[in-house]
Amino acid sequence: MGTAQQRSSPFLDPGPVSTADSLAILHLKRDLLLPTVLSALDEKCEGYDEGRVTNTRFGSFPHSTLIGLPWGSQVRASDVDTGSRGRRGAQQNKKRKRDDRLVEGNTAVGEGSSETPTPKAPVAAATGFIHLLPPTPETWTASLPHRTQVVYTPDYSYILHRLGVRPGSTIIEAGAGSGSFSHASARAVFNGYPACESDGTSLAKKTKFGKVWSYEFHKQRVGRLREEIRNHGLEGVVEIVHRDVCEDGFLLDHSYREPENGALEQGEALPLSPQADAVFLDLPAPWLALRHLTRKAMPTTVLNAAIASSKSQTPAPTPRNPDGTNDENNLETNAIHTTSFTSPLNQHSSVRICTFSPCIEQVQRTVSTLRQLGWLGIEMVEIAHKRIEVRRERVGLHEEGARGVNASPATVDEAMERLREVESRFRLSRSAMKRQTSLGKPTDEDIKTEESDTITPPTSALLQPADPTTNRNARKAFKEGRLIHRPEPELKTHTSYLVFALLPQEWTPEEEARARSKWPIKPKQ
Amino acid sequence: MHHQLMQPHAYVALRLPSDSLKVVELVPNTTISIGKYGSFPSNLLLGRPYNLTFEIVDKEEGQTHSNLRVVPALELHSDILAEASSSVTSDILDGKTVIDGGDGVEYELVGENGEILMRSNREIIDDPSRQKLTMEEIEVLKKEGTGAGRDIIALLMQSHTAIDQKTAFSLAKYTLRKTKKYVKRFTALQVDVPLLTHYLLSEKEALKTMELREELLALMGSLANIHYSGPSSGYGADGLIDGVGAGRWLVVDETGGLILAAMAERMGILYPADDGETDTPQPPPSQVTSAEATPQDSQSTSHPAHYHRCLAMSATSNTLTLIHANAQPNLSLLKYFRYDTSVRDVDSSHPLHTHLKTLSWLQLLSPHEDTGYTEPEVIPNEVLQAWKGGKRGTYFKKRRRWERIKSVVDETRAGGFDGLVVASAMNPTTILQHTVPLLRGAAQVVVYSPCIEPLTELADLYSISRRTAFAIDPPMSVPCEDFPLNPALLLAPTVHTVKARHWQCLPGRTHPVMTGKGGAEGYIFHATRVLPAEGKVEARGKHKRRKVLKEHGANGLAENEAALGGGVPCMFDGVCEQSEEGARAYPQQ
Ligand SMILES: C[S@@+](CC[C@H](N)C(=O)[O-])C[C@H]1O[C@@H](n2cnc3c(N)ncnc32)[C@H](O)[C@@H]1O
Repeated sequence: MGTAQQRSSPFLDPGPVSTADSLAILHLKRDLLLPTVLSALDEKCEGYDEGRVTNTRFGSFPHSTLIGLPWGSQVRASDVDTGSRGRRGAQQNKKRKRDDRLVEGNTAVGEGSSETPTPKAPVAAATGFIHLLPPTPETWTASLPHRTQVVYTPDYSYILHRLGVRPGSTIIEAGAGSGSFSHASARAVFNGYPACESDGTSLAKKTKFGKVWSYEFHKQRVGRLREEIRNHGLEGVVEIVHRDVCEDGFLLDHSYREPENGALEQGEALPLSPQADAVFLDLPAPWLALRHLTRKAMPTTVLNAAIASSKSQTPAPTPRNPDGTNDENNLETNAIHTTSFTSPLNQHSSVRICTFSPCIEQVQRTVSTLRQLGWLGIEMVEIAHKRIEVRRERVGLHEEGARGVNASPATVDEAMERLREVESRFRLSRSAMKRQTSLGKPTDEDIKTEESDTITPPTSALLQPADPTTNRNARKAFKEGRLIHRPEPELKTHTSYLVFALLPQEWTPEEEARARSKWPIKPKQ
Repeated sequence: MHHQLMQPHAYVALRLPSDSLKVVELVPNTTISIGKYGSFPSNLLLGRPYNLTFEIVDKEEGQTHSNLRVVPALELHSDILAEASSSVTSDILDGKTVIDGGDGVEYELVGENGEILMRSNREIIDDPSRQKLTMEEIEVLKKEGTGAGRDIIALLMQSHTAIDQKTAFSLAKYTLRKTKKYVKRFTALQVDVPLLTHYLLSEKEALKTMELREELLALMGSLANIHYSGPSSGYGADGLIDGVGAGRWLVVDETGGLILAAMAERMGILYPADDGETDTPQPPPSQVTSAEATPQDSQSTSHPAHYHRCLAMSATSNTLTLIHANAQPNLSLLKYFRYDTSVRDVDSSHPLHTHLKTLSWLQLLSPHEDTGYTEPEVIPNEVLQAWKGGKRGTYFKKRRRWERIKSVVDETRAGGFDGLVVASAMNPTTILQHTVPLLRGAAQVVVYSPCIEPLTELADLYSISRRTAFAIDPPMSVPCEDFPLNPALLLAPTVHTVKARHWQCLPGRTHPVMTGKGGAEGYIFHATRVLPAEGKVEARGKHKRRKVLKEHGANGLAENEAALGGGVPCMFDGVCEQSEEGARAYPQQ
């Protein structure tokens, strides 16, 4: 916060080429992506001659070969001496290589080596390459370090679409978890950086900047998320709030007050409202957070009823002020605490909500609480996503020997031919056997058979397994066989149930009266 | 704070009790009729918030029009809430009781001690004669207009002789059915892209929008990485191409503008500034200002660049460039967002006026055959001064039109786009052939098709085995018979499909909805544009295999095929497939 020069986020505008100290995605192969912060210097002092190096199963990539390249470039691996550097023993090295994809490429922190290296110019290796991509919410979701379950692309796309989250929107998200949804939200709400725009001094209209208020009660996750948001240039767009939202709601204390952000304009003493246009709850018990998402102070009876109807065995927890102190007024009475009520919602627009729960029981509790609290347009949806594999299916006896093909007859004719061949071989061997065993002269019949065998040689071009050395050059396997498609073998058949609802803005009799005088009904219509 | 209020001439969707949608334009001082439910003055909606539910209150003696009453949320939920609070249903939520509902139609509710709490509706004979009130009587009641239908329902319930036989389960259903039929309520919804998509699919001809569903549109938007990228976001100003900023997407849209609207919504350029979003990002004045050419502009020929940037299609970042197959693009659906290209004086304050650029395939691929691209004769200033105002105006208009076409065509041909989104009946192969080269590295490619075949063909043209063959023995030129497209330009092509399954969520009756629409499944092709390295690049992990295969008398080519063909999903990894064996072999090198 308050950094002098705001860096553009590589997620929002990566620029034409990759830059140092910025996140890049190394695309090793399909579904194998490696998020890497490019660094010109060997800060971790791993002792490679080439400076900072990322090792992958497809070769070593000194960062000097990755920085300053147009995004999307194919990059060759370099020959890097991975064995002889500093104190890193070959053993440790080998061990790392065998590790799985998550660990792979994580340039492990080496012990500090005292020498200051002058990076050696990398030499291209004979084989191996990667593609260098800028980060997007999609590639990040596919490669981020998992700390929790995450919301994947098909779900978050639909959720943000249906919640109407657009440039300039404010969205509340809880819990932040691994930050998958946060990144997708950041892209959706982004309409410029508050800091950058403020130097355009006299903008006639005060732009409302998009914002993601992201709540998480797990302390370590909060720390990791804040670090990621900073490294990803998303400060000012995403704000991580350390909070138990079921207990303490969504209002903000004054440490979140940003003078340049128009969203927060409240009296000094009151807690601040994020003024959310949309809410996304990915929590184990979303219904417990709902009572903090009202437009007005709710009588405790209603809140109790809402909780009771969702069959929570615990009595409705006492609403608390965001500073964590109990509000005495709420303890016993049903009194509406109008005096100090601040809604976390944007009071001048409809607010949409989505909750994300894997179990139907959670849905039922959530839906019933939503109804009690006056949410409308309640809907529940499941998103089923499939990736389709497309390939050439090659069937036929001539395929024998090739990999991944079905070397069985492709047609009845082929089957017949093979059967005939087998038949004749069988007869041949039988007659040979007979000749061996019978001591007498061959009978007429035997001679006849032998003759017919020589007449029909048991070989046909078709039945020969293809000789790869001779005719592979001529074959074009990429267009042979039949083009087929089918869902990929691994499917996610259930992610979660998505509950959507909407809370229209309040419409008072005074406002209605004003509208009526503005739009009077002329007698003659 | 007025942007959530209904504006004059905005399109508003009215959701009727039958759950169908009626989209109307809010013309002030007119009457809006919603068929059998009644009619009311449009001025009763103007300036009111979206998403409220209104009830038509029948006009009383001496009144000229009927009124609208806002129905509070709790009243809307009253039936369900009442039902939910009855012991039977809340017990269901508790999980103490067991619902044994074989096929989802017949239910039996068993209590803790095995007693039957709710009878299966098997025992109840559905006999219309039990309903004493005749249709005629109902009509009379409706005409008398006693309290907007709610009385009718009450009467109906009373007159039902078998009411006590009905289980709570079927009673709830019964109430719901009657409610939908007689209550004169509607909800006023904002026409945004999700709503429009839903509306077009369910109420209009779905084929015209290629049967696009919300979930498909949403996924396309993400995969194509469509987002706001204004001049303020850093590098914008010095993009890949001179004078061209960040966030430029190429679109081929034959859905009447639905795809385009969905993208524009994500970029913050769909809604006119005075309603939808006051928070529409406002580019600083230096980038794009009012599209109106000031009178002063037409006076001066000396600074064409000056008025150039004030004109239609003049934005340099956060833009959509549409390539169309007919002389004029069909963007009729944009009228729902108050951008009507068919009228003469388009709303020049609409963000699409500057941020949407259009050109035809002819203009893109062979501009010199297009008359619009040919420069009109330049008239010297002295001559111009002598001309009449009208003639001079026409001259300047012609020049401006040409300048606009030329700049759009030239900048499009120069490429550097951040992504490509296609929904077209044309063969996608021919589209990609001409558009993929116009994309910058790492740009996203998304192609929609209602059926899968065009996309499997596309995936096949970018398959790993084809790409390998291409790398080993590049053809003289592309397109050619074996390589209609350059397979080296796209990374990890993938075909997706996504479908939303909707559920009914009523107390004790949670289940997927029982009927749905057939028709197109809808598929999305997605890939990333890459920049292949110069010269031959060999994948890692082949040496070992090659050795093994050589022992079996295979040569290098055979190895490639063996490694890449067949049983594994071969299309996905391109030349970049570097086998597991390679990984294991690597440390030993
Ligand atoms: C499934 S994860 C969310 C994943 C996230 N949506 C993503 O896409 O990465 C749920 C998170 O909610 C947090 N959480 C659970 N209850 C909470 C509460 N009452 N207040 C704040 N965070 C909570 C958990 O710590 C966990 O990190």
